[in-house]
Amino acid sequence: MKGLLLLGAAITTAVAGPAHAVDHNNIDAHRPLRFDDAETIAFGELALESGFNFGWPRRRPLGLGLDAEAIYGFARNSHVSFGFDPSIGGRAGSSDTGFSFGDVSLGLQHNFNRELLKKPAFSLRTDAYFPTGRNSQGTAFRVRGIMSKTVHQYNRLNLNLDLNAHPGAPRGERPFNPGVILGYSGPIGYPRRFDTTGLAQLAVQAGPDRGSGPVVTLGVGLRKQITVRSVLDIGIEADVAGFRGAPRDNVRFIIGYSVGLPTR
Amino acid sequence: MLTHRSNRWGWLWLLAVAVAPMSVAATASPGDSATVGDRLPPLPSGLPAWLDNTNRNHIFYKRGRYNFDVYNIDALARDLNAVAVGHALAYEDLVTGKAATLETKTYERIDWVLKNPPKLMPDEAALSPTFGRKYGVLEQVFDWTHVLHAQTIDVLASKKLSEAEKDKEIERLWKFYFESVPYAVTPLPLNMDYLYSQPYSQAFRKTYPRVNGLFWGYHWLQNAMYDTLYRVPLEWQRKSYAVVGERYHQTELRRTDRRFMPMFGELSPVFAGRYPHIANAFDNLHMLHDMVNDILATPGLTERQKDEQVKRAIWLVSAEAHRGEKPGDRSANPVEDRGHDHRFFAGMPGMGMMKGASAEAVPALMWMDDMGWMSMSDCHHCTMPLWEGKDEWRNSVVLADGKGMRVRCVLCARDYSAETKGKAILHLATENPERPLVLIADEQGAFQSSLPEAVFIEQESSHAGCEEWSRAFTSRAAFEAHVQAHPELKGAKALSFTEWSEKQGAKPDTYVKPKGPVENPYEDPIPAPTSVAPIPSAPSMAANPRHRK
Repeated sequence: MKGLLLLGAAITTAVAGPAHAVDHNNIDAHRPLRFDDAETIAFGELALESGFNFGWPRRRPLGLGLDAEAIYGFARNSHVSFGFDPSIGGRAGSSDTGFSFGDVSLGLQHNFNRELLKKPAFSLRTDAYFPTGRNSQGTAFRVRGIMSKTVHQYNRLNLNLDLNAHPGAPRGERPFNPGVILGYSGPIGYPRRFDTTGLAQLAVQAGPDRGSGPVVTLGVGLRKQITVRSVLDIGIEADVAGFRGAPRDNVRFIIGYSVGLPTR
Repeated sequence: MLTHRSNRWGWLWLLAVAVAPMSVAATASPGDSATVGDRLPPLPSGLPAWLDNTNRNHIFYKRGRYNFDVYNIDALARDLNAVAVGHALAYEDLVTGKAATLETKTYERIDWVLKNPPKLMPDEAALSPTFGRKYGVLEQVFDWTHVLHAQTIDVLASKKLSEAEKDKEIERLWKFYFESVPYAVTPLPLNMDYLYSQPYSQAFRKTYPRVNGLFWGYHWLQNAMYDTLYRVPLEWQRKSYAVVGERYHQTELRRTDRRFMPMFGELSPVFAGRYPHIANAFDNLHMLHDMVNDILATPGLTERQKDEQVKRAIWLVSAEAHRGEKPGDRSANPVEDRGHDHRFFAGMPGMGMMKGASAEAVPALMWMDDMGWMSMSDCHHCTMPLWEGKDEWRNSVVLADGKGMRVRCVLCARDYSAETKGKAILHLATENPERPLVLIADEQGAFQSSLPEAVFIEQESSHAGCEEWSRAFTSRAAFEAHVQAHPELKGAKALSFTEWSEKQGAKPDTYVKPKGPVENPYEDPIPAPTSVAPIPSAPSMAANPRHRK
């Protein structure tokens, strides 16, 4: 636990130097909810995004996790990401409560078009998860299709369609695991304040174990610009329903911080 | 009874607000709604593919330790943040069917933000999502040139860079701006008259004078801030911005009587002289704003016509449309190809030709509001030629009454500021190009000085030689060196700042009032504003004790 806190503190210290803009209205997964919007970060921009999540899995002790991700706009409309997610304590779907470094991930997102009057913005994100975590086996992959569309002038709907593939999954776990998330984002305080975005999500994902049913997750969150180059996010998620024994969290609190760094 | 009267006048007011925009648009000759659609120029053929791109194409700032240093001058940073909101709210309402209340509800919403500017720069795209989805390429052009605006100001406000480093970095920023994307705005001086002579020209300013006044107020600020900051230490940048910001809020944002948009060279002549390509790009960008406003405000145009004309306006000011051309060039066929006219005023390579300023007849004259015809290469006080080329730094500059004026000597600067109303900022050349003296004058004519130890010479004589007998020095030693180099000044007294500031010179013997080809090229009267709220007036000149002449 102490190690995880120290790791989080080290990341926060490392990103507190001179940096650049990260916008509260650009939505990335886990900051604080699970969905992405279709926009990539700017060409040449480097951002560090990190946050703690405090989970309370059903019939398990409390757990603490850290999500950290570096994102770099390596080309116009495309970015790569590199992340890891250490955790300790209770985790949904696992009886293990020891410290795990978590899987290291490498991702790529490309935005095909900006949003037009009659055409939503489309993006594709692919991630590979390498088995660096405690008891992890085999590399896992995820392909996420993202569509973002403005509704009612200032609000936005973000549809994420996921296909998780884990060819080396242990016996009893699903090798293919689909999911869908409908995310909402909209400004708060407009037209007098321009620094806060509200978020909400409805996610449905197949349970990780063979034979288990889907898990339904609701979440709400907030992203607030706190300096010209950093954003604070907070959120709360709850797995409100799990079918046929799917493991789930009662509730999960998320608090995070994103900052842009100078590049080029 | 009183209630009845109020209601009756309320109905009349509503009627006036509803009818005025229509009647103005209907009577405006260039923007006549009945014929504008028929007279629209066609899209040029063979336009580049980037004008139709559907990508987002966000590019990050150039890396620099100066980024966001505009926040060293917090009041300026906040005002610029509010400018971004003001632009975005107006554009969003224009394209979402709220044009009818642009002068009332939209104006009031923007006004609140201008008076309560946000601490952090908002994302304009998030404030005008419909405009962005409709005119995404235009938004790319605006955003990218706004980045140049932001980064050049960050450099000027930086405490970490020397003046020489700032000069080099500004050139690097230009290169980054110009070479990173295909949609950079041209650095050539474009002919303002041509760009204001489209069938739709002036539709916005005549229909929405108050919101147009805000737009031009923003552009006034975005131009005036450069000389306010250029070669000025941070402490004096802050003091100077207190004056500029006050003028911006109290007067420039509320003006509805301008004849033309604020020009960069008119407000920051020193920066424009040093970086004419940047000054021109900003003027061209502001002109693109005006053209787009006019297109969107012209009634009767179909959506397709608006799309095409916006695209054409982008093309007209784009660097690609003028590739291979250079400042001073003009098309061999100036009647049919007026777009390619890149001449500039003598002594002002950072400003394109203006209305009525025929290069053949009076190449050096420009017509300015309240001042009439002026030579841009002569001192605005004594009409002696200004310093040019490598000696340009020897000119002094006065920002007063909303205008920036270059003068030949420090007496001209002091007396010119005394002749104008309100507060003034004077940048006086000294013997050291790196150390201009900054003076701030209040309404009573009392000066604050950035170098209280400065020494002056003022042995008044003909202004033909004012560069020798009217000077400021950073030290007594510099004064003595000057006197020693000019035997005719032997015995001249070294004036302290206080002694010098209390003097007043005679009317310059060299002064000649320039005469233009016509009395006023902007004779087309500006209709009375359709404003519904009192517009603060500028301070009265008669009541100003600094108005001595």
